[in-house]
Amino acid sequence: MTTHTPQWAAGVCAGVHAAAIRDVVYVPDNPLSHVLRIFEQEFKDVRLVLATREEEAFGIAAGLYLGGRKPAVLLQSSGLGNSLNAITSLLIPYQIPVLMVISMRGDASEWNAAQVPMGRSLPAMLDALGISYSRVESADGAATTVQTAAETAFGTRLLHAVLLPRIMTSLAG
Amino acid sequence: MNRLEATRIVVRLAGDAPIVASLGHPAYDLFAAGDRPQNFYTWGSMGVASSIGLGLALARPDLRVFVLDGDGSLLMNLGSLATIGLLQTPNLTLIVMDNEEYATTGGQPTPTARGADLAAAARAMRIEHAVTVRTEAELTTAITQATRHPTVIVAKVAESVPIAKPPLDCVFLKHRFMTAIGSDDPALNGRNSRAG
Repeated sequence: MTTHTPQWAAGVCAGVHAAAIRDVVYVPDNPLSHVLRIFEQEFKDVRLVLATREEEAFGIAAGLYLGGRKPAVLLQSSGLGNSLNAITSLLIPYQIPVLMVISMRGDASEWNAAQVPMGRSLPAMLDALGISYSRVESADGAATTVQTAAETAFGTRLLHAVLLPRIMTSLAG
Repeated sequence: MNRLEATRIVVRLAGDAPIVASLGHPAYDLFAAGDRPQNFYTWGSMGVASSIGLGLALARPDLRVFVLDGDGSLLMNLGSLATIGLLQTPNLTLIVMDNEEYATTGGQPTPTARGADLAAAARAMRIEHAVTVRTEAELTTAITQATRHPTVIVAKVAESVPIAKPPLDCVFLKHRFMTAIGSDDPALNGRNSRAG
């Protein structure tokens, strides 16, 4: 197992940190493992909180916000389905902002058909929920995109999502 | 002991500490037992109250955080016990009002009516301080002792018909709560236009 540092993952961490986020609640997936490792090694002031399920992650993040923190939730696109109860009946009606960082499955370069239906419909689901989102188009734009997304979320007190395309996160470098 | 009586004990012993209430009857009874700005009433997100309390306890180690959950609600998010057991958040007290039924939706029995043991589940997830109480005295003792460890108190309660409901405005409830516990919400403060 190599432990190289993908540029996109370093950018995600830098953007989160630059937006003054110090609490990251997560359910892991493969690409996000790079993000988590970089946080652990290079951003020791960031608290990482493992959740058993994405909905739980959003509940924990809501509590962190009520306690005065700025939380991010890291999840795979498949986890949005697990999260809808908390998102639609807690975070949206109470205007509790969280930065969502979504590692995409089911988009270009997917190999697993079971990942496709949720991944393909995720942008439309975010649109239907009224959740704005930004897509990280390239590794060197990751930090700026993530920081801007976070500042938008906490400035407007609305959820904002950053999508990490699989074609980027599945590349070696 | 019915749920409203148990809730009154919690409110009395909580002092100024925040209380997060699960939707439906737990939230209604919290309002009836003693509305206070440190109460956070949920109107949805069944199952998530213990997670909200956990996040709040992580954010604010200076506060003791109470959660009023239901048996049906906790069963919807049992993974929360594993996370509390993992983090060992000392300032979190999770009180499960276990009436052994989905009372808010018409009284259908939950698995606890047939012996499912939520305190044992909590202990199995490494929450060592997890007890089941059946009387007001036992509940009082359990809350009084739960000051230094993550604690789960399963209160076996009789269902009681709710007599009141909290305000419906979710954003108002959030602002009131955050202000009461001293969390800074920039949205509530004007700012100097030169600050950008």
